[in-house]
Amino acid sequence: MPVHQPGRRLMHFVPLEFVHKKVTGHGGRATNAGLSLTSMIDFLIVVVVFLLMTFSASGETPPAKGIHLPEAENTLDMIDAPMVAINGSQILVDGAAAGNTHAIEDAKRLQRIEELFNTLKGKRELWTQLHPGKPFPGVVVLQVDQDVPAIVVKSTFQTAAFAGFPNVSFMVGNIPKSK
Amino acid sequence: MAGVDVGGGGKGKRSLDSEINMIPFIDLLMVTIAFLLITAVWSHMARVNADAQVPGPPRPDQEQEKVEPEKVLHLEMRQPDKFTIVWKQGAQVVTSIDVPRKDDLKETNGAKKIRFPDLAAKIQEEWNSSGSHRAAGDKKLDQAVLHTDNDTQYVYIIGVIDAIYQTHRKLDVGGKSEEVPAFNVTFAVN
Repeated sequence: MPVHQPGRRLMHFVPLEFVHKKVTGHGGRATNAGLSLTSMIDFLIVVVVFLLMTFSASGETPPAKGIHLPEAENTLDMIDAPMVAINGSQILVDGAAAGNTHAIEDAKRLQRIEELFNTLKGKRELWTQLHPGKPFPGVVVLQVDQDVPAIVVKSTFQTAAFAGFPNVSFMVGNIPKSK
Repeated sequence: MAGVDVGGGGKGKRSLDSEINMIPFIDLLMVTIAFLLITAVWSHMARVNADAQVPGPPRPDQEQEKVEPEKVLHLEMRQPDKFTIVWKQGAQVVTSIDVPRKDDLKETNGAKKIRFPDLAAKIQEEWNSSGSHRAAGDKKLDQAVLHTDNDTQYVYIIGVIDAIYQTHRKLDVGGKSEEVPAFNVTFAVN
């Protein structure tokens, strides 16, 4: 018996004629469509290049829980720095508690937040030990809830400056420029 | 099977052509796309800068050179109906201008936004006429000091800082001209 190329077998024995026609492609428009491999690979490579260019290895630090950030137009790109988060009641440094806002609000005067000061000072000393001979950048990023009163913001700003972080940045949501 | 000719090859030598298997190649591209899409960051956070590193009072143990104090823009936002822009040179008030304040607070998905376009335009105008560091070769920035009362919400402070940073100037960096904010903002402690 001569050996010959096997033909199509799949879905050849469907008893219902209209189903048979549909699945085998006879009597109607074919369900399969040809695709140019060159164009497809070009497209995939362009997508890969675009995604690679927009890829950020460091990711993005999301705002701490319970913090709604205000939005601004004239902004700078985020930087990697210690993060001080201030929600309605707590002050956190990189997620660890470092003070309470109620005490500042009740005092109604600008003051140094001792817990925050000690935490930031500790971070500065650690950085100096890890990078001997290098100038300390003194950068800190504040994530402040949009409804926090100015007295808390100013006290935190001043405390950060006292602790050796004079370059303070406020984290905001970025919105496109209106003009 | 589909293949890709990578070129080359000579007479009598082993061919430099080789065929790349398309299926794993496309699989690799697909997996790369999937990975990059999953790890992509779609929401963009940014920052506005405020610098506490401003010139302090002179040290009493050192003899100071007589230096003319620079003009500093003080922005007063304590009044609910107006902003006051004051240019000061040391303790001396050079000029003072009031700008009507219209608070148009907008909230989208919990995020508040406030713009002060009139204030931004006035600051731009003031800097154009009175700014000390307007030359592109000048590395220093003009100083703006923000005065708020203790109860002002943070969103309003950001709105005002945003208005100050709307004023831009050219700065020559390494032979290139860049657009940078004209002011460096800090807070008044009082």
